[in-house]
Amino acid sequence: MSHITVDDLADAALLYCEKPEWQDVTPVPQYDGILFNLSVDVLIVVLADKDATDYFRAVVKSDEISERVLQLTEDIIRLNPAHYSAWQFRYRTLIALKSNLDAELALMDVLAIQFLKTYQVWHHRRLILTALHGASPSESLDAAAKELHFITRALDTDTKNYHTWSYRQWLLAFFDDEALWEGELPYVEKLLDVDVRNNSAWHHRYYVVWGRVRANGEVDQEEVLKGEIAYTKDQIAGAPNNPSAWNYLRGVLEHTKQPFSSVQTFVELYAAPARKTAEDVVVDLDNPGPGPDAHLPCVAALEFLADIYEAAGGEQKKAVEIWKSLANEHDNMRKKFWEFRIKDAST
Amino acid sequence: MATSDERDWTPTPTDGVSTPTSTLQAHTEEILKARYLSTHLNAAANANQEAAKKPFEPTLNKNSHVQYLLRNLRQGFPARYISQEASQPWLIFWTLQGFQLFGFGMDGNTKKQTVDTILAMQHPNGGFGGGPGQAPHLLPTYAAVCALAIVGQPGAGGGWDQIDRDKLYDFFMSLKQPDGSFLVAHHAEVDVRGIYCLLAVATLLNIITPELVAGTPEFIASCQTYEGGFGNASFPGWALRGSSIDPSIARPPLGEAHGGYTFCATASWVLLQPYLRTSYSQEGAVQPSVNLKALLRWTVQMQGSSIELGGFKGRTNKLVDGCYSWWVGGCAGLVEGLLGGGHSAKAEDDAVDAKADQDNSLFNREALQEYVLYAAQHPAGGLADKPPKPADSYHTLYCLAGLSASQHRVMPSKERRATLESVYHTEPESQNDGLRKEVFLSALSWVEEVGTAKYVGGAESRLNATHPLFNLTVTHTENMMGHFYKQRVPVWNPQKKSS
Ligand SMILES: [Zn+2]
Repeated sequence: MSHITVDDLADAALLYCEKPEWQDVTPVPQYDGILFNLSVDVLIVVLADKDATDYFRAVVKSDEISERVLQLTEDIIRLNPAHYSAWQFRYRTLIALKSNLDAELALMDVLAIQFLKTYQVWHHRRLILTALHGASPSESLDAAAKELHFITRALDTDTKNYHTWSYRQWLLAFFDDEALWEGELPYVEKLLDVDVRNNSAWHHRYYVVWGRVRANGEVDQEEVLKGEIAYTKDQIAGAPNNPSAWNYLRGVLEHTKQPFSSVQTFVELYAAPARKTAEDVVVDLDNPGPGPDAHLPCVAALEFLADIYEAAGGEQKKAVEIWKSLANEHDNMRKKFWEFRIKDAST
Repeated sequence: MATSDERDWTPTPTDGVSTPTSTLQAHTEEILKARYLSTHLNAAANANQEAAKKPFEPTLNKNSHVQYLLRNLRQGFPARYISQEASQPWLIFWTLQGFQLFGFGMDGNTKKQTVDTILAMQHPNGGFGGGPGQAPHLLPTYAAVCALAIVGQPGAGGGWDQIDRDKLYDFFMSLKQPDGSFLVAHHAEVDVRGIYCLLAVATLLNIITPELVAGTPEFIASCQTYEGGFGNASFPGWALRGSSIDPSIARPPLGEAHGGYTFCATASWVLLQPYLRTSYSQEGAVQPSVNLKALLRWTVQMQGSSIELGGFKGRTNKLVDGCYSWWVGGCAGLVEGLLGGGHSAKAEDDAVDAKADQDNSLFNREALQEYVLYAAQHPAGGLADKPPKPADSYHTLYCLAGLSASQHRVMPSKERRATLESVYHTEPESQNDGLRKEVFLSALSWVEEVGTAKYVGGAESRLNATHPLFNLTVTHTENMMGHFYKQRVPVWNPQKKSS
């Protein structure tokens, strides 16, 4: 949180109360002498922040719409990127002044990277992209493509940034253009090649493959399903104790209403206490087995197998055996939960 | 004294494949293990002979945390909070509610000052801003109203009757979107945190109407991801037909399942149950649904392993963090409530017999307490994400609230509901009383289950119980709702029954 340094303030050499162009405005101080006053040891920062925000309150009060409001709100945002009122007022001013929105995006590029974790920087971009789209849907596609690149750059520095991912997903759906979507799956695969445990990338994969709403018949669902199952099995084979990949497998099967038992052969390889010895292995390309360093049995596979047994009917006993082993041995932390599964299955 | 080798120190398996996620994970596990071991070493060094015979349990350093909260209150917040100028009601709420969990009252003068401070942030057009003169916003509105629940009272200058509820309602309506969601502020984003804040406030202040929440359950349901938890919003565009939603077309969730959003979505879902019960039955309308089993599964999967000291993560394959003790640990209790796990008949009928294991919780309560006590307590006071992070007000409250939620089971009680219903009276002029009554009874039926409290570290670690829907004590919740619904709230005294 402490991203403000004295260096940042060197640029803003003059306080607003010292700037000649602001002499016509009477600053509106926050309030006096109440709880939670700031301590004096942070004087410089407080002074600059307080100075700018006092003037900000004044322009809000007078409802001023002018170029200098853009400068003021930019200063406040640089000091405090979570100041949503400043963002809100800035956006309103940009629209009222019919400002160049491409220039606004460029100006905000630096801020977005600097304040990656702040909601407001991403939401502001979303408002601007929406406004560009409103002005000219076809021309705004260029801006959207550029934006997608920008988001990729931001994700390079933080591959799990929540707001950035959420914004990327919104952008794709909002512009819903094939040229934007088509690079997404290769992009996800690149990220998963680097880190197969990146859950944000798995979620994005789900969004791109299953979340996107398309016209009927546009894609061969069966083909897509086959491809996704094969891909996920390969990723599990590479690193079996990866909940992200198992959750994806479950999600895909549930979404397409495929029974879990359709992958039983595969799951059993990971629910076994040890890897089969080389002479026992029958090469099965559809069901890649765990590697020599795999930690077995895999808790996620045990859970999966128990779910298969529970759904099968008549195999309740086998499911209960697995839940017991999870509760008492393999996943003791969730003992209560596995006991709940046993109780729940019997009622 | 328990020795460290009694604990399971199995690291998270990497299957021989190292990636940035597993590297960070392994590093964190080392830090947590080291913290555990050093805590035991210090305890051994300081223990007298008597204490050394007993197994060691970590305790809550109440005194140093209270000092931390007092420092914030007296000297103002440290420099790093300046960037939170826009969230002053939050700083106030986090501090005040922290004191409540420790059972500390405020003197009249402090209360009065705090009420004035908060009222200065009420916007003339309704709602509260992050500071005086700031635009109204759903998040600080929740924090402000909850802070007023703690320090305010009815009457002139008391804070409660100075909340402009008519304007607040208009403000809420002005944020409403065609997909049933709400912007958090004008020109701002939609997300389930804002919706939780709105519903919590509307419930406390008695301003829920069918018009306000129409479409909101469907929106919440659309934010559930394939993992079972909730993302921050959903994309309405494909399903939008003018200003209405085509229910046959999907609204995919934006953002992966996440602890903070999952708490907010789940609490919203609970707060919307009265509306779901009263408004869907007659029309034969299709009720939206949330996959509760998937939600439960995701919630318990977030609890870290023994080497992670039983803390909660906020997302799959991310690190444990003290604040998720509340967001996810607290959420587990809400899910249990939704699954029908109220006060067990046994507990209500036989309150004295606490020897038998009556713990129906579906997550590991002791383990979560251990995480907060070992990993989240900062040696200099206040609580934190994990070592070596500094303490801050946000983590201090949510670590404490999570600790409280793992000590006490606050669950819906049929008995409590019946008692409240027996004295409920309908205001002659009131509209929507079916819904209003249901909101009132449902929210206040959550009370602590007798005989199920557990304290790692014994009484020294004990905190007050907190209401899982609001994160206020049950007493503050009852007082405020009693006032705004004009109802008498009888004292809850379940012990009587067992004698
Ligand atoms: Zn945290």
